[in-house]
Amino acid sequence: MRRPRSLLGANPPATVGVLVIAAATLVLPQVLSAPNLITYVTIGLATIVVAGLSLLMGFAGQVSLGQGAFYGFGAYSAAILAIHGWPPIIALVAAVVMTAAVAAAVGALLLRLEGHALAFGTLALQLIFLSVLSQTPSFSGGAIGLTNIPALTLGPIAISGYRSYAYFVWIVAAAVLLVSRNITRSRPGRGLRAMATSPSAASAAGVGVVSYKLRDFALSAAYAGLAGAIYAFFLAYISPDAFSVMLSIEFVIMVVVGGLGTVSGAFVGAAVVTIVAQVLTSLGTGPSLPAQLPNVLSEGVYALILITLLRLMPDGVVGLASRLTKRLVRAKLERRATLRPAAGTVTGPVLAPATVETDGAHAARADGDTVPSRGGRAGGAT
Amino acid sequence: MSVLLQYLVTGVSRGFLFALLATGFVIIYRVTKVVNFAQGAFVVLGGFIAYSLLGAGVPQGLSEVLAVLASAAIGLLFGAVTILGKMSTIASLITTIGLALLCEAVAMLVWGTTPLTYSGLSGHDLRFGGIFVQPQYLLLIGVSLVVLAALWLLLDHTYVGKAMTACASNPYAARLTGINVKAMGLLSFAIGGALGGVGGVLIMPLFPITYDSDVNLAILGFAAAIVGSLTSPTLALAGGLIFGIAEELVAGYWSQANETAVALALMILLLLWQSHRRQQVAKLV
Repeated sequence: MRRPRSLLGANPPATVGVLVIAAATLVLPQVLSAPNLITYVTIGLATIVVAGLSLLMGFAGQVSLGQGAFYGFGAYSAAILAIHGWPPIIALVAAVVMTAAVAAAVGALLLRLEGHALAFGTLALQLIFLSVLSQTPSFSGGAIGLTNIPALTLGPIAISGYRSYAYFVWIVAAAVLLVSRNITRSRPGRGLRAMATSPSAASAAGVGVVSYKLRDFALSAAYAGLAGAIYAFFLAYISPDAFSVMLSIEFVIMVVVGGLGTVSGAFVGAAVVTIVAQVLTSLGTGPSLPAQLPNVLSEGVYALILITLLRLMPDGVVGLASRLTKRLVRAKLERRATLRPAAGTVTGPVLAPATVETDGAHAARADGDTVPSRGGRAGGAT
Repeated sequence: MSVLLQYLVTGVSRGFLFALLATGFVIIYRVTKVVNFAQGAFVVLGGFIAYSLLGAGVPQGLSEVLAVLASAAIGLLFGAVTILGKMSTIASLITTIGLALLCEAVAMLVWGTTPLTYSGLSGHDLRFGGIFVQPQYLLLIGVSLVVLAALWLLLDHTYVGKAMTACASNPYAARLTGINVKAMGLLSFAIGGALGGVGGVLIMPLFPITYDSDVNLAILGFAAAIVGSLTSPTLALAGGLIFGIAEELVAGYWSQANETAVALALMILLLLWQSHRRQQVAKLV
């Protein structure tokens, strides 16, 4: 028996949400002013980085404190290649591949150790990266950085101006989110989820834990490298200041705000933290205010966000929201079911997929209920 | 030759600072399995509090002791935030990152962004063979040795120390024998805070400290602790000295700008080697 499907898929509220956000991202570049467009692009780039880091933190159970370095590595690789005459789009792809390769080389061994090894190892990578930048002025521009990075061209189409970058960045971000979503729902995704719950049980069930963690880590670095490369073409100027340790920590905060391992959380976390940071900067900047006040405010607020969220809302804003909507939807369905008990045989299977969502075991049982024979001989009936 | 000796003296004293930090990492990690990212913040806050007390006219010596006590209290508070209630390893690590950020924000607000220092032990430089040594270096080395020795006595020869070791090897069994595991965790955080504070008040006269020195200090302390796989205080001391001397030699013979990068590259190699060794062991089993 074929399960009747809703036009909006298995989870109507989420589908509606995605459609609304998609429409908004298409309209926004037309109405935003130039400074807001920069923020808009920044959020898109952060979303790309956070999507990868969220997979790493949520599924592999590992933190990278060097995501800012991968972002910077992508930016510098793309910029240097493009300045040396490579076609920008090739430079962009090469930058992504190189960033993933660096991460894979380091991660192959670090990921076999406990979680803190990768955290401090990647932080060390970041500090080494910044030190190398300051030591190679002829190659990387040193503390001054690189200027005159050529504009990004896709064949005949040149991407220039804030508005076209806004569209480009958000198309890439949407693609990245789609890839992440498909990964979490594919076989490797189920392996990753099993690994997140219990690495030893997953390993016993045939999940190659280290190789999955490694692919997860390399993917997160590739995302960061991709965002960094786009950033370099967008600003046409990069300097070491843009890739501080604080940037890496900001990415971690975005993941925590959005919720570990959730795809939509990447967008929410990136948007919330970027906007909060801008509001705090404008609040803390003034003629009579001390120069360090913006930093004091942002670091203080970041600290409070991290500490209170981890204590009170470990699955982030999106986790909380989805828990609440699920509870609401379930309450509504239960009320409907009690109002029409006679139709129960029909409403049960039809509504079940919406309430249990992606939970495979429950969905299978809901389907099984429509098969006449229950219990041991169910297989013979089909 | 005398140049090399000079570097070694500086390297050893910095090494003791890293050893104090590393021992803090080890004590906290053994009992609570938390890697405390805010370990460097104890150094910064301890040093800054001593600076303010000295500025307020509190006599030298008393200021430093009060600053160390304050660091211990901050450590206790951080422990309460991090280990009370149930948290995954990754969540507790990120919580301590949050605490480190909070310390930076407070330090920036209260003490500003310029590097701070105060004069330490007065007196002429002492002459050994061909080299001159500031008395403060000797004070740093001497006090660190006394503190670390006292800590070993505490761990090996007192009931509390043995209880902490019991929590480290098997928290469940420790609880069954009536040891309050959470209290031991809090105590380990207080000791970690005090160790950082000792390092802070002793190092500030030699190397000026800024509000954001904590990240570099924390990662070098972690590097030293990694030598003892985060569990051995003795190897953590050795690790501290290795990293202190390595940094100083790089700074002296190559370039000051590369000292931290080389030390961190060394740390990554150490981690890679440990991972490789673990694989070899796994193959044998």
